[in-house]
Amino acid sequence: MSKTYEYVHEPELVKGDHNFKSITALVTDINLRPTPAGWYIAFGISNILLLIMLVAIGYLIWEGTGIWGLNTPANWGWAIVNFVWWVGIGHAGTLISAILFLFRQNWRTAINRFAEAMTIFAVMCAGIFPAIHVGRIWVIYWVFPIPNQMAMWPNFSSPLLWDVFAVSTYFTVSLLFWYVGLVPDLATVRDRIKSKVGKVVYGTFALGWRGSNRHWWTYEKAYMILAGLATPLVLSVHSIVSFDFAVSIIPGWHTTIFPPYFVAGAIFSGFAMVLTLMIVCRKIYKLEDIMTIDHMEKMNMILLVTGMMVGFAYLMEVFIAWYSGVEYEKAIFMLRATGPYAWAYWIMITCNVLSPQFFWVKKYRRNVALTFVISIIVNIGMWFERFVIAVTSLSTDFMPSSWGYYSPTIWDVLTYVGTFGLFFTFFLLFLRFLPMVALAEIKNVMPQADPHNYDKNGNFVPPSVDVPEPIRGETDR
Amino acid sequence: MATSPKLTDSVKFPAEMDTTKTLFGVGIVGLIASGVGFFLNHEQFFFSYLTSYTFFTSFALAALFLVMIHHITRSSWGTVLLRIPETFSSNIWIWALFFIPVLLGMGTLYSWTDPDYVTGDPIMEGKVPYLNELFFILRQIFYFGVWGWLGYRLHKASVEMDLTKDWGLTTLMRKISAPGILIFSLTLAFASFDWLMSLDAHWFSTMFGVYFFAMSFQALFPLLFLLIIWMQSKGILENTISRGHIYDLGAWFFAFTVFYAYIAFSQFILIYYANIPEATIWYYHRLEGSWAFISYSLIFGRFAIPFLVLLNRDSKHSRKVLIFTSVLVLFMHFIELYWIAMPIMHGHGISISWMDFALIFGLGGIFFGLFFQKLKKHNLVPVNDPKLGESMAKHYHQ
Repeated sequence: MSKTYEYVHEPELVKGDHNFKSITALVTDINLRPTPAGWYIAFGISNILLLIMLVAIGYLIWEGTGIWGLNTPANWGWAIVNFVWWVGIGHAGTLISAILFLFRQNWRTAINRFAEAMTIFAVMCAGIFPAIHVGRIWVIYWVFPIPNQMAMWPNFSSPLLWDVFAVSTYFTVSLLFWYVGLVPDLATVRDRIKSKVGKVVYGTFALGWRGSNRHWWTYEKAYMILAGLATPLVLSVHSIVSFDFAVSIIPGWHTTIFPPYFVAGAIFSGFAMVLTLMIVCRKIYKLEDIMTIDHMEKMNMILLVTGMMVGFAYLMEVFIAWYSGVEYEKAIFMLRATGPYAWAYWIMITCNVLSPQFFWVKKYRRNVALTFVISIIVNIGMWFERFVIAVTSLSTDFMPSSWGYYSPTIWDVLTYVGTFGLFFTFFLLFLRFLPMVALAEIKNVMPQADPHNYDKNGNFVPPSVDVPEPIRGETDR
Repeated sequence: MATSPKLTDSVKFPAEMDTTKTLFGVGIVGLIASGVGFFLNHEQFFFSYLTSYTFFTSFALAALFLVMIHHITRSSWGTVLLRIPETFSSNIWIWALFFIPVLLGMGTLYSWTDPDYVTGDPIMEGKVPYLNELFFILRQIFYFGVWGWLGYRLHKASVEMDLTKDWGLTTLMRKISAPGILIFSLTLAFASFDWLMSLDAHWFSTMFGVYFFAMSFQALFPLLFLLIIWMQSKGILENTISRGHIYDLGAWFFAFTVFYAYIAFSQFILIYYANIPEATIWYYHRLEGSWAFISYSLIFGRFAIPFLVLLNRDSKHSRKVLIFTSVLVLFMHFIELYWIAMPIMHGHGISISWMDFALIFGLGGIFFGLFFQKLKKHNLVPVNDPKLGESMAKHYHQ
């Protein structure tokens, strides 16, 4: 080990020659400029997909779940896979906004707003599936423990019911957290927008924010508390989703590592989704100075770490299945790797365990095109992971005489594809009308926010003539 | 950095304190006493030994993990106290020698070593490729080799930076830590299977490796607290490790208290809920007789009480409260390991032996003796670490 290494300095979080004013302009001009044509095209496509989803769901409600590919051994199919996949995607947003906040990872400021929006829309997409899966959607309110004269209660010992509480709590807290973070930035847009209607609308949602010291104090307290509340939710929601499978006695489902394994997988797929969206948005909206290559590199590291966690869980499952000596456990893992769904299993392994291995190398972590491709591959892999878990264990269960092959129908596919319409409809609206970067937070991590006038080496540098505007400059009246 | 506070404390461990001698003395007395115990009841000796050994090793392993996490995340908060976990993990290669008694006692500890137990039992016969003496020994050599090297090398690089001021070493440490964490997590999981899970050779749980990790990592923070508070009471690093650092350690302690509870509870509830006999048997034994008392006390001692106490911001600043919580959790950590290992020997209920105590003192004396011996040799703080200034500038609010 006689080789010597260079010290790597920490990269600056905001690139380019920016001050507070230029950052405000860079981000909010996106909302204030006239709507670009490309946005209408993307929105139109999303709307069509959304319509497809509505039709697919409408037909499902009319006809019943028989239109899906479910059969008797495989009573759970795409709907559950899609549910778990979408909920999982949401987790990265909460991790970035809450956990990284508590760990004081300042680089999160470039992507947190964006990722939180993704969380909320992903959870909305996820929520659809279990709701329509009940078949009789008009009595879906029965999942809530509402007192009634029939004295009929939901089954409190079922993790499916815990899911209702977990996911709805998660959605509520995420929404609040996102909104609280938005308030100062909404005020910025309110102050900059020309149109009267816009002023009223943004002003209403900005809750009379004036940027006073007291406002900031309250805001930071609220933000901290919500971050604290959101943190356990990152773990609890997907753990309970994993309980849906793991409390049963189905081989391949009943395994104790499921909760942390699902959480790691959720963060893995969520980060992949954030990367996919970020790489496109930073290009289109010219936000390369804020969402830098360094951010991408850090996210790729998380992708590598969480990918390895998922790989660790795969290994533990297979090893313990063999070690346990339980006939059925051994059989199901053999069937996964070599049985009728072996193709899905190997897609899962390739996408989730092998593809992130590129990111051991710094050059690849900083390669935008490669990151984009791998981020999509990872999400495909994570979809297949849930497919492998849900479908293989059911379709080849204890008795070979009752085995069956599951394949989806066109309605399964259309519903799934349609949820992308829902997701992107909301996401495009978000990009159009709300500041997609947390302005107030990013200004906090810029050198201008550190009023010490020292350079990187700690030498005193007198303030330049161009004194940066204070944060309140935009919103103070 | 010009803006950063300067180191005002001495970074040398006071030479006049003979902590090492005292600890080695206690250790040797404890080991000799338990050596006598070996001739009286060798089964009890080996079980007590395994419990104590995993107890102390878990700190060294958790410390190694903390050091590696520190490097790959380029943390600054913990730079001032980094030398403490570094020193713990740098001794793993010596500490490995103390695993030899476990290998000698394999035949007593592990039922899978008994051919009569294995033959005729198809499940046990199926496990022979993994659970056999030779492979077991080879695995231990591999685990300790990996951990020993990682701990030793990271400590060496850090100490080297004290002398050479070569900041490039931080890059090297990061390059070691990244694959280090990967191989650490795998070896730790399999080591926990080997040491503890295979005591009940039929039982299995995919979570067990994570469970052992969660226990160990939670227990590291109380240990660090007690060490730091004790050292500061002797005037060591009084001005360097500040309230801010203590608070941060408290936050970690809190976070991993919750994480431990999450993992331990998930493992329990999944096994309990599915109610498959071959899985529930492990908990069944531990909910029987006086073992049940430990099972329930773990809920309070290791989770509920520290959780409620540490939830409060002020308690993470109060040394008295921290000492109380730390002692409680360290005690419960030992009790939990005892509760994992001992029911194999004492199926009917808790049966405390004087050897349990003798070995805590014996192995503990050696473990901490080695620690202080090494700590004395080097600076107590990585004085030329590029992050030291940032770390020392931690204020109350952060």
